[in-house]
Amino acid sequence: MNDLISLAFSAFIIENIILTQFLGICPFLGVSKKKSSALGMGMAVIFVIIMSSTITWVLYQYVLVTLKIEYLRTIIFILVIAALVQMVEIFLKKISPALYKALGIYLPLITTNCAVLGVAILNINNGYNFIEMLVYSTFISLGFLFVMYIFAMIREKLDYAPIPKAFRGTPIALIVAALLAMIFARFGGII
Amino acid sequence: MNILIPAAVLAGIGFVLGFLIFIVEKYFHVEEDPHLDEVVELLPRYNCGACGFPGCKEMAAALLGKQSKPAQCGPLKKEAAEELQKYLDEYYKSKQ
Repeated sequence: MNDLISLAFSAFIIENIILTQFLGICPFLGVSKKKSSALGMGMAVIFVIIMSSTITWVLYQYVLVTLKIEYLRTIIFILVIAALVQMVEIFLKKISPALYKALGIYLPLITTNCAVLGVAILNINNGYNFIEMLVYSTFISLGFLFVMYIFAMIREKLDYAPIPKAFRGTPIALIVAALLAMIFARFGGII
Repeated sequence: MNILIPAAVLAGIGFVLGFLIFIVEKYFHVEEDPHLDEVVELLPRYNCGACGFPGCKEMAAALLGKQSKPAQCGPLKKEAAEELQKYLDEYYKSKQ
């Protein structure tokens, strides 16, 4: 149990997918202008990461390892993630148009989000069992949501800050991201 | 001969996923406003988000609902904007 708690904590903060592993930077910079859209993207990513890492883990352990064709994992994972996102999109459009509208373009964008493929591959590389895999993917995606949300809050405030003209917009966002990454790097030695 | 196993697995997974998408699409198909796609065609389709909406489709929906103006789209060229405005004017007229 203690192992799982420390795994959850390290996935959430210490090994934060955006600020220490630098995966999923594209939505981090692209979809963090408004708190609501950051939240929407975070939710969509949580959903897709948990589903896709479960399916890819099972597929890897029971199909690829049994047939001794582990080298196919990257291409099969990409295939599974892309198809999954497509299905989730069609499904949501029918079941919950409100959520579909809120997620908008982010849902198809997740197909090419490297964080999703990254978590699927990290689960295999770190040799997690099923429970550990679930905990790790849940908390890594919660960490994604957490960082997206604080970054969006900062960026909303930045709109009112007296920033030199040349730094307005993306440049100041990149500087803030660098400062955040430095803060998160300090968590490195905790566990 | 060994190459056939991975090829078969890959093809099998691809086939299963494709079939699943086909089934999901068949049972969960949603009819959309045909005007929406036509407006999206007139936009640059970069999904850059400069208009403040998440993507071109959301922008198109806002345009049809009169919540936005073509000028809000940054990368839209001048001639394209005029064409879009013409289309929208006709659409608004037909709605009234």
